[in-house]
Amino acid sequence: MSASAAAATGAGASAGARGSRAALLDVYRVEQRKLLAQLATRVLVLVCALGPFAFGGVLSLQSGVPADTLLGVWVHSSGYAISFVVLGFGGYLGFPVLAGVLAGDMFSSEDRYGTWKSVLTRSRSRGELFAGKCLALLALTAGLLAIAAVSSLISGLVFTGDQPMVGLGGSALSSGQALWLTVVSWLLSLPPLLAFASIAVLLSVASRNGIVGVLGPVLVALVMQLLALVGSGSWMHVLLVASAFADWHGLLGDPRFYAPTLIGSAISLLWIVACLGGAWLILRRRDFAGPPLSRRAGWVMPVRAVGACAVAIVLLGLAGGLGPVAITKARLEASMTGTFEKLTLLQQRELGHALPRDARLNLHTRCYRHAGRSEGPGDDWSCTITVLRAQPGAEPFRSTPVTYDMSVKSEGCYKAQAPPSFVGQQTMTDARHRSVINPLFSIYGCFDTTGAEPKPEGATRPRPTSARPTPQQRRAEQQSLHRSEREAGPRVMREIREAEREAKHTAEGPPEQASPPTAGEQPGASEEVRASERHASK
Amino acid sequence: MRAPAQAHGDRVGPADGRIIAALMRAIDARGLSRRFEQTRAVDRVDIELEPGDVRGLLGPNGAGKTTLLRILLGLVRPDAGEVELFGRALDDPRRLDGVAGFVEEPSFYPYLSARANLEVLAELDGANSRAQIDVVLAQVELAARAEDRVGGFSSGMRKRLGIAAALMRKPRLLLLDEPTSGLDPAGVRFVGELVRSLAGEGVAVLLSSHQISEVEGVCDSYSVLSSGRLVWSGSAARMLSEAPPSAHRLTTSDDRRALAIGAKAQDARIFESKDGGLTVEASADALDAVVLALGRAGVAVRRLELAQAPLESMFFALVEQRSPDRASAADERSPDPVTRS
Repeated sequence: MSASAAAATGAGASAGARGSRAALLDVYRVEQRKLLAQLATRVLVLVCALGPFAFGGVLSLQSGVPADTLLGVWVHSSGYAISFVVLGFGGYLGFPVLAGVLAGDMFSSEDRYGTWKSVLTRSRSRGELFAGKCLALLALTAGLLAIAAVSSLISGLVFTGDQPMVGLGGSALSSGQALWLTVVSWLLSLPPLLAFASIAVLLSVASRNGIVGVLGPVLVALVMQLLALVGSGSWMHVLLVASAFADWHGLLGDPRFYAPTLIGSAISLLWIVACLGGAWLILRRRDFAGPPLSRRAGWVMPVRAVGACAVAIVLLGLAGGLGPVAITKARLEASMTGTFEKLTLLQQRELGHALPRDARLNLHTRCYRHAGRSEGPGDDWSCTITVLRAQPGAEPFRSTPVTYDMSVKSEGCYKAQAPPSFVGQQTMTDARHRSVINPLFSIYGCFDTTGAEPKPEGATRPRPTSARPTPQQRRAEQQSLHRSEREAGPRVMREIREAEREAKHTAEGPPEQASPPTAGEQPGASEEVRASERHASK
Repeated sequence: MRAPAQAHGDRVGPADGRIIAALMRAIDARGLSRRFEQTRAVDRVDIELEPGDVRGLLGPNGAGKTTLLRILLGLVRPDAGEVELFGRALDDPRRLDGVAGFVEEPSFYPYLSARANLEVLAELDGANSRAQIDVVLAQVELAARAEDRVGGFSSGMRKRLGIAAALMRKPRLLLLDEPTSGLDPAGVRFVGELVRSLAGEGVAVLLSSHQISEVEGVCDSYSVLSSGRLVWSGSAARMLSEAPPSAHRLTTSDDRRALAIGAKAQDARIFESKDGGLTVEASADALDAVVLALGRAGVAVRRLELAQAPLESMFFALVEQRSPDRASAADERSPDPVTRS
């Protein structure tokens, strides 16, 4: 090829690229205009703009907190927690609904209105139309997410304030850190949100039915949340794009971990490419021939589709045990130990006890599931934490075992709650006589499910692998206890054993057993708490 | 009109006249076939159209007219055959440059106004046609309703808006699927005048209809489809010359005598209609002779009205020759002979 010919070809290619860009932008503008003219989109904009703000306003009017959601107990302590709670709700079902409403009817509405034949007979190719629609969808989805993020942030700052907040590892985050983490966390929700929008696009193109397109992503999200509870292997769980909505948890952990974030974003990208690729293949090959000349019975295709989905769900359920175990006893114990330690120190400082910066607790943590092997997600985990002693210079904690009921999710986040008789009420009075959240009442934490298994450290006991320890594990545990006894002193260990026996009796039956006061308990509160528990049990 | 290759600056060598003619042709389709499940919607159809020609695509419902138009507009891929519009093949991304039209009822976004719908379509044309919006809205007499949502438009108004959307592209080839159905008589006349005026400007028009009376006087030529096959193609004059005599309904004071007189008449046939009364099939001259003969015999003619025009008679004769039952048997044989102009 001569130089001039090459230059001409290059110029032609450049002009072609410019033409394609211009065509793409034309379609993008058209789709934006159409989307914004529709009632559903306008309602979505309103919901995203006013919903989080109204949520913050309602929370500010009541004393209760959404404690079941990660960081939920902190909504009256830091405005950033409101934004994170909204983000958590969004990841649960809000974002799939948003994706469904926005994208689920984008292609099928052209079928409903019969407008494919109008737009496909203009000067734009199918590829340009498809790409332009996807671009408009991306922009609007990102826009709505940004609106919800800003609204939730403003709501939190207006109704609660910009106080520092407690992260998912128990450490305090300054206002600046919390703001930065809030922004990044919302950004991290964009890839899975786009993945759900892509699922909606695929369903919309394949079914040519707006209802399937709108409701499909919601059903997919629900099924994924159910599948996340099945099995303890990580290979299937990592492919569930709904889990990627929890990617931000690692940023608030202590220490922070990023592997799930990167994996979740990559999985989201995979879903986007697969779904949009599938949708494009269907659209590219499709004939726009109007209604079929002869209709088959209307139930054949839906029944086939439902059957195929059921088979896929069963297969995925069966695959739930494949791969390395994500939720392990060791990981949970290590995370719970660190989080409990930080929160206890935080509590003591709030109560006005002077603690050195490097103050640490010597803890025994033992976690187990009440049913089956002690691994995998579930609501039947328990963790018993025993404070052996404080280091010199620290406030002398009482050596009492605290048993937390744990709800552990497949992505490695957990919520732990203990009876108020052990850790005190949800609120406590700090050194300045203000009513503040008791950090030990509800503990939120997250751990990396992809990293190496943590090794036992310090006084932490060896970790048996099942709820019922084997004789060898029992021997190792005994040796660990003896070692701790030598370190902590016989008196302290005697107290621990008594307290453990007492806790066991309490758990097994007699509700009237008195529990010893704990580190989190306030003076004079225990009798009142026990009285209220007795009342509740009657 | 320049050939497309020349129009875009490509060098055209000393091509012979046939190639240039093919490039200039608005439609050049050969052997188009398309099957849907067990139905042959379009079966080995050839169609050509020159700039400035108005071709009526005729056929009963289900004859394959709309499928053929969909193939030409790129909405449906043919199973076999080739199509070129102004020399551009189906896989050419610019094949629809200068081409406009609609199939079935024109469709719009009901939540947008008429103007907004046209603006959206203009944007998809690269905004080149945006300046035309007011002009075409006035042309189809929808300027007063431009800001109304299309969701509230009648079928006739949608059809007018569809024509406006097509005109906005300043087409050189217009493909219209039953543009007059659903229109009132004034609308039918409007479409006819518009098509003739566009043809005068060199625009090629292919319009389909299942009622030849609606396009009679508008089209220069006709192609008749039946069961997916092209059964006749030629000029309007030729169709008229080949058409059987027109049919008239006749009511007299004495039908029995009228039948007897008709039996003796030359070039005319009088018979009893299925719905009662008499029918006369005769050319204009022969019909005059029959009426005079009836008068001379003392039979009063109480009513004489046109029942079927010659073209209509021709149309029915053509499509009835190829009913679906006959067509399936004929499919296995060689292609039907097609009369070309």
